[in-house]
Amino acid sequence: MAQFDLNDDSVVVIIGSGAGGGTLANELAQKGVKSVVLEAGKRFDLGDIENDEWAMFQKISWLDKRYSGGGWHGAVNHPTLPTWLVKGYGGSTIHWAGVALRFKDFEFKTRSTYGEIDGANVEDWPVDLEEMTPWYEKAELKMGVTGKTTGMPHLPWNNGFRVLAEGCRRTGRSDYRSGPMAINSVERDDRPACQQIGFCMQGCAIGAKWSTMYTELPRAEDTGNCEVRTDAMVLKIEHDDQGKANAVVYADKDGNQHRQKARVVCVAGNSIESPRMLLNSASNMFPDGLANSSGQVGKNYMNHTTGGVYAVLPEKVHMYRGTSVAGIVGDEVYHDAGRGFSGGYYLEFLSLGLPFMAAFLEPGNTGWGRSVAGALENYDRMSGVWVLGEDLAQERNAITLHDSEVDQYGLSVPIISKTPHNNDYEMTAHMYETSAQIYEAVGATDVYELPAYPATHNMGTNRMHADPSKGVVNAYGQAHDIDNLFVSDGSQFTSSAACNPTLTIVALAIRQAEYIAQEMNAQNI
Amino acid sequence: MSIRFHRLGKSDEDRMAMSRRMFLMTTTMAGITTNAMLSSAAFAASEVLTEAQSTSLLRMVQDIYPHPDFLHLSHYEAIAMTVMTNAEADADMAKGLTDGLDQIDAKAQELFGVPYAKIEDPDAREGLLRHFQHEGFFQGVRWTAYFGIYDNKDVWPLLGYEGSSAEHGGYIDRGFSDITFVPEGPTLEERMADVQS
Ligand SMILES: Cc1cc2nc3c(=O)[nH]c(=O)nc-3n(C[C@H](O)[C@H](O)[C@H](O)COP(=O)(O)OP(=O)(O)OC[C@H]3O[C@@H](n4cnc5c(N)ncnc54)[C@H](O)[C@@H]3O)c2cc1C
Ligand code: SF4
Repeated sequence: MAQFDLNDDSVVVIIGSGAGGGTLANELAQKGVKSVVLEAGKRFDLGDIENDEWAMFQKISWLDKRYSGGGWHGAVNHPTLPTWLVKGYGGSTIHWAGVALRFKDFEFKTRSTYGEIDGANVEDWPVDLEEMTPWYEKAELKMGVTGKTTGMPHLPWNNGFRVLAEGCRRTGRSDYRSGPMAINSVERDDRPACQQIGFCMQGCAIGAKWSTMYTELPRAEDTGNCEVRTDAMVLKIEHDDQGKANAVVYADKDGNQHRQKARVVCVAGNSIESPRMLLNSASNMFPDGLANSSGQVGKNYMNHTTGGVYAVLPEKVHMYRGTSVAGIVGDEVYHDAGRGFSGGYYLEFLSLGLPFMAAFLEPGNTGWGRSVAGALENYDRMSGVWVLGEDLAQERNAITLHDSEVDQYGLSVPIISKTPHNNDYEMTAHMYETSAQIYEAVGATDVYELPAYPATHNMGTNRMHADPSKGVVNAYGQAHDIDNLFVSDGSQFTSSAACNPTLTIVALAIRQAEYIAQEMNAQNI
Repeated sequence: MSIRFHRLGKSDEDRMAMSRRMFLMTTTMAGITTNAMLSSAAFAASEVLTEAQSTSLLRMVQDIYPHPDFLHLSHYEAIAMTVMTNAEADADMAKGLTDGLDQIDAKAQELFGVPYAKIEDPDAREGLLRHFQHEGFFQGVRWTAYFGIYDNKDVWPLLGYEGSSAEHGGYIDRGFSDITFVPEGPTLEERMADVQS
């Protein structure tokens, strides 16, 4: 692995090694562009993966102090765990389940499609599906997504998904399949085929599922063009007199501070930490935080309109055997104002192990007693879905900084506020009803409706917009205010769409790498 | 928000039968409990709890996650022991626990005229505990019970969970797709055709 000097001001500094940062680092490295990746967490490898929900949670989650705010139930039930994300080499791609869906065309054009919505801050993206299609294809090839682009068949169906699929068939649905997943169904790209281990969200012990931990990051390091520094928590991005980003200050594991010079800075710390870094980097020249002339940094926080549904079937299901998200139902992904809400939603089969099921069936102080225990006695007869749909941008849903409490690095603690819009209540009711109908059609006796989990999909807090007064970055993720500052993660999203975000994050990062290399060559940055 | 039981859930009659059965089970167990405790050196030796308090604690962990048909008394005793051991090492926690158990008994006397562990109706006991569910001592006991049951590898098989599979080569040859009450999934050929058309 290369080692770059702290005073080397020719490097691109990438903050975060997850889906966005890891992909960007490898893409740049393959083009010969030199970079230093600063990653707050530790270096992990396949040997760290255990098939144990709480052990992995404790080992790799981002557990620095955070608060939940706003009107969602988590402000009460998950007061210090608004999100479930990873701090480490590979970021949340260690935990992610592998669902790799593309946005639909209308989902890039939410303002034009939905119109102005009271209480929401909905806008169109400066890119559309036609522009993104070739980048989606590159992302699918890179990640090894089952489906037409790679020709890899979707995964075999496990018990839990077979139950869901049969319910779909009996209720006249047609769009249900076991992909697209960024999980090898056959050996590919030096990684084995899925062995139906389960525990995909605890990290894939054999590397069948794409993660930057064992693909992009080591490949970037192998080129000699990229140095990944772990245990390097970025505190502040600095700029010169012209207002160009020129250095990044970080703390190592002993708390010692270092200052890495940079030609270009790319922020990919996920949608809580990325805006927090920009806000914490306020200076005399940029008193409201870097790249924040629009006032939109930290605003428009989206994490999908979600819930869980678990049905009890007359016979054993053993849903935990095999891929955690074993199938996807896409029939509800369309916009029809007649349904009482804007946007669409997916149903994704999701197995939880017994520990997580018992914790999330009824989260909070009330989740005990005869009803909970009785439901858990049906655990081996359950099949269930995670429902997720379009979450409208709202300014009040935001990342703000606590005015007195600081974390172990001395940085103000972030407060993550989320208050559902009426659209969310309407959509959630529809999601629960649809899921119940599907499961009833296969003979479900009880159906349990679970509220949203701590957020795993986080988007929108440094959003793209063609108009610099309405968004933080342009169509390449380049800050409107600072040419050599980029946002390279899901915080760029203008809208959330119904689908899981990572394929789009990766596609945008590949596209951004091309743009950065071109702009560097042209000496524009 | 809470779990919403569905409209097609068990009929009222089933639920009543269930609740009668649970009532019988739990009262029988309460009997076992007291006997077991009288002869249990470990419980008697608790430095922080009186005998009455440890009886209440054992009743409480059973009422928090009641699985009379699935778990053994020894599972609950182990949880109560963990709570007591933790309390012995932490004076504040011990005080919270003993005060809390006394408050539960006081409320039981007020509402039912007997100590908490002597209330026969499990619904009444749960209703009583609900008064205390937002208090620290209660949640401390509750989460100890949670980890002692649902994150306990010895208990998993009793609740139908098999856990870690990587060391066995996954579930690919161990029943990931073995149910028979719904049709099988598409064959490899069908899945290939789906992505190649
Ligand atoms: C359980 C789970 C399941 C998921 N399943 C899916 C799925 O099936 N499909 C899908 O599309 N998405 C899924 N996701 C979401 C997916 O993981 C994220 O969308 C994706 O990883 C986001 O990429 P990112 O680069 O923005 O951030 P991350 O992957 O979270 O990486 C950010 C990295 O930045 C580091 N960092 C943050 N702040 C700093 C700082 N100040 N200094 C240095 N480093 C910093 C963090 O430690 C972290 O490693 C899932 C997530 C979870 C948790
Ligand atoms: S089910 Fe497949 S993808 Fe998921 S962890 Fe296991 S082997 Fe990896």
